[in-house]
Amino acid sequence: MKVAAIFINLAYFLLLAPFLEGVMRKLTARIQSRQGPPLYQPYLDLLKLLGKENIVSSKNWAFRLAPLLAFSSMLAVVLLVPLAGAENLLSHSSDLMTLIYLLTLSGFSILVGALASGNPFAGVGASREMMTIIMLEPVLAMTLILGAVKSESFTISSALSGIGRNHGFSYFLMLVVYLLALQAFVSRQPFDIPEAEVEILEGPYVEYSGPNYALFRYTLNIKRMFYAWLFVVSFLNFVPSGNFWLKLLLETAGILILFVLISVIGATHPRFRIDQAIKYYTLLVVLSLIAIGLGVKGW
Amino acid sequence: MWLWNKLKQLAISLRAGVVTLHYPFEPRPAPAGFRGQPVWDHTKCIGCAGCANHCPARTIFLRDICQEVRILLYDSARCTYCGRCVDLCPEKAITMSDKFELATDNRQDLTQAIELFMMTCQRCGRCYDLEIKNYIDRLTLLGYRYDSLEVRKVIKKSTSEFQPEMLEKTATYQRPERLEK
Amino acid sequence: MAKKEELRELLKAELKDDFIGEELAGERRLFVDVHNRALVKTAEILMKQGARYQVGVGYESRKGGRGLALVHTFAFDNDALIVIVRTFAPEDNPEFDSLTPIIPGAGWSERECIDLLGFRFKNHPGPKRLVLSDDWPEGIYPLRHDVPHDLMPPATRDVVFRLEQPPPGTSIVPFGPFHSSLHEPAHFSVYVDGENIKGCEYRGFMTHRGIEKLAQTELTYNDVPFVAERICGICGSVHSVNYAQAVEAAAGIKISRRAEFIRVVMLELERLHSHLLWLGVAGHLIGFDTVFMQAWRIRERIMWLAERLTGNRKTYGMVIVGGVRRDINKEKAEDIKQVLKEVEREMLSLEKAIINDKTIHKRTRGVGYLSKEDALKWNLIGPVARARGIAIDARKDHPYAAYDELEFEVPVVDYGDVWGTLVVRVKEVYEAINIIRQCLNKMPADGPLAIDLDAPIPSGRQALSVVEAPRGEAVHYVLTGEENKPERWRVRAPTYANLQAVPEMLMNNKLADFPIIVGSIDPCISCTDRVVVIEIGLQKIKVMRKEELETISRKMRFEG
Ligand code: SF4
Ligand code: SF4
Repeated sequence: MKVAAIFINLAYFLLLAPFLEGVMRKLTARIQSRQGPPLYQPYLDLLKLLGKENIVSSKNWAFRLAPLLAFSSMLAVVLLVPLAGAENLLSHSSDLMTLIYLLTLSGFSILVGALASGNPFAGVGASREMMTIIMLEPVLAMTLILGAVKSESFTISSALSGIGRNHGFSYFLMLVVYLLALQAFVSRQPFDIPEAEVEILEGPYVEYSGPNYALFRYTLNIKRMFYAWLFVVSFLNFVPSGNFWLKLLLETAGILILFVLISVIGATHPRFRIDQAIKYYTLLVVLSLIAIGLGVKGW
Repeated sequence: MWLWNKLKQLAISLRAGVVTLHYPFEPRPAPAGFRGQPVWDHTKCIGCAGCANHCPARTIFLRDICQEVRILLYDSARCTYCGRCVDLCPEKAITMSDKFELATDNRQDLTQAIELFMMTCQRCGRCYDLEIKNYIDRLTLLGYRYDSLEVRKVIKKSTSEFQPEMLEKTATYQRPERLEK
Repeated sequence: MAKKEELRELLKAELKDDFIGEELAGERRLFVDVHNRALVKTAEILMKQGARYQVGVGYESRKGGRGLALVHTFAFDNDALIVIVRTFAPEDNPEFDSLTPIIPGAGWSERECIDLLGFRFKNHPGPKRLVLSDDWPEGIYPLRHDVPHDLMPPATRDVVFRLEQPPPGTSIVPFGPFHSSLHEPAHFSVYVDGENIKGCEYRGFMTHRGIEKLAQTELTYNDVPFVAERICGICGSVHSVNYAQAVEAAAGIKISRRAEFIRVVMLELERLHSHLLWLGVAGHLIGFDTVFMQAWRIRERIMWLAERLTGNRKTYGMVIVGGVRRDINKEKAEDIKQVLKEVEREMLSLEKAIINDKTIHKRTRGVGYLSKEDALKWNLIGPVARARGIAIDARKDHPYAAYDELEFEVPVVDYGDVWGTLVVRVKEVYEAINIIRQCLNKMPADGPLAIDLDAPIPSGRQALSVVEAPRGEAVHYVLTGEENKPERWRVRAPTYANLQAVPEMLMNNKLADFPIIVGSIDPCISCTDRVVVIEIGLQKIKVMRKEELETISRKMRFEG
């Protein structure tokens, strides 16, 4: 079962992630009074990209390595997590640090790829991405640490279930912080600043095409799904553990609802500038620190 | 305040519903009076060259291959669908159709050619003289035109300047490469 | 009228012998011929009198042996007067004094004359190439009469436009020639320090189509309106009306009042759709695509209305010299009223939803700020000027068509930033709706659509016409010629004036704001470049295979 769970994880995230993007696109389209693409469009897009020529525009080896690294570390992340409360073989032998480390590695590879491409737009995108990582990783780390503090354990599953152990001040504060940071985690408006199509033409990805770009897209899709999933399991774990499939279904429903929220907010906001976003992130970091403080106090 | 604004924005969107169409599966017909591709009626055309002389895009070509036969060629590739040809045709031989989906990989699909049998006025030697009231619309050219139908180039020459060699020249008309001094 | 007399007397007195002649064309225009050496002095006098520089036109006069001529036009907006200063130079020595040192807005007009006609300007600060492509051979001036309109010099490969070096401590981010926030080809090389813009160099005129040359060689008077309409993809009617007005003024043609009203209706419909288009694009540029889609949804009704009225959603094709082509009858008027009612309602709700949106304020307020003084210095026009407290509007200042009979407000705000231009444009939407309604009520019930002409248009006459385009005042200058065609036709699109001030607006803003700042002037690059002669029929098209294209692009990148 523990080995099988790994594959369930893999299949769950790989198969569902593009669909969720489809949901997002359809909803955005509806808010914009458009028909929108069919829900399965992201799968077709990925297939199409995979069939295209891989144009390697930079002689730097990091350029080729970056998409692979980003994708594989993101995959590693989703392999580690206890889906529907079921621990698998890998989540046993890892802890929170592994998770945070892998997540950062994924973001970091995008950055490396962008810098290796030598494109000025990618450069601007990379610098924005860097600032975003620096400001946002702490918020994520604090969320997980709050769980660790509450459950007094550093394993992934106990930390995740620890956040919602008691619904004190720290829980609510962290919930608000996480929700406020969610748009930034999934890089949608108003915080899709590193990609900002009209200014810097998808920033870090500007030189990528074909399969390389498909990997990046896939990474982004899985990343979005992961952050939504993380919210659902850590803040909304009211369902008592029992049937694995039932729980999985509920989690999926949670993710879907969250994606609706993300799409609606994304479609009704302009993009912020990086300097405005940084101020906002700083506030979030401070708030999450307070939440940890409260958590340590046991509130 | 913020939430209220966002709700208002959402309300606008939702009230409007979905407005885009399943085009091209769901056709959208053009309204009456639409200026689509012009269509020539060869039974009405008298070969006066009014349309050719006033097409702003110069996309209607005319060649008199002999005294009696005039060829009118419409090459839609450059047509701007302005409808001037329709306005100026004295015989109402042209109509603006409602065709606008004109993409094709064969240029011949878009061209229309008419061969016209011409009769000459015994007195002046010209074919027609048209009384258009507006001076600036009055036909600028009467008589022959030797447009190159091969490379689709307007070559304006009136009767008095006619030389038979011109016919050969038009087949291989070249754009001037250098400034001739 | 007093102003006109006053200026005439003043110029005569100050210039003495250098004042060669004058032509009193109607009440609102004053043509003066001055001697070459007194050009700067004349300009100084006029500017001191409160003039606003409009445009410089160069031409080669075919007849009269006057050689090459340079025309500068100055508008007195408070007195509904435009002074046109003409000066001449012999063909073998076409040298003029540059006005750029005293009027920065004249810089482009003069550079254009250098490129297209081979003029030389004394004291011009930067006589770099502006209009012609970089591989165009030296010494061939396209607007000279001896150059054929379809001249195609062989292309060379290794000539490039030399961009300036960036100031120390900054790096270049290239916006263009193709960039998703520029909807047409133009090149801004933006100097940035981190995210801060420290300067910018502009290179445009990549879509120079040679329209003016075409009109002077191949086309006839009534072909030009249709080509003029295609100068701009958004405000086409502005150019066709403007051209027609200029020709009518030159020829002394008086068109029917009804035709004038119909022209106004079309112009205002165009303004409506243009402003809604802008609102959408502005939303897109700050990453707010819902505003983009919703504004364009509302705009679509106007496009369909135009399709029903004129037969095409955008290129109306309504205007010819002497009038208009299609009528607006009772039925169509009802249709217009109905659509306007819906558009007004939808617009009100859209306005309510966005005007207080703090997130939009965050991205537009204080962005692209330019003070009123700077705006005056650069002779800004249109909503860009009106957002900076300058109340200018050609519809009020130099009424044309039927605007003298219509009542409307000119919205002016003094925010001086992108937000200001948004507010002005939104208000103008309601004004446009109001104007169209008035037109439909006041339009005389009868009158010919187009009048008949029984004599050719005399040659050698000159006229200038202005029309307030959605982006500001557009100026057309026409010199009538022989053979039923204009001898010189000069178009100055509003963006031509506004674009010159963009580098200054960009200064010290964030890189992320670049798109919306450039967007705020609603740049219409094709109007500005207006003028590559395309002869599809003759072009030898070499079809490149994909591999070839790729090798070329790669080679260029690695070499360069
Ligand atoms: S519609 Fe206009 S462009 Fe087309 S053929 Fe007729 S006159 Fe020429
Ligand atoms: S204007 Fe009419 S009648 Fe004359 S040539 Fe053209 S189609 Fe024929």
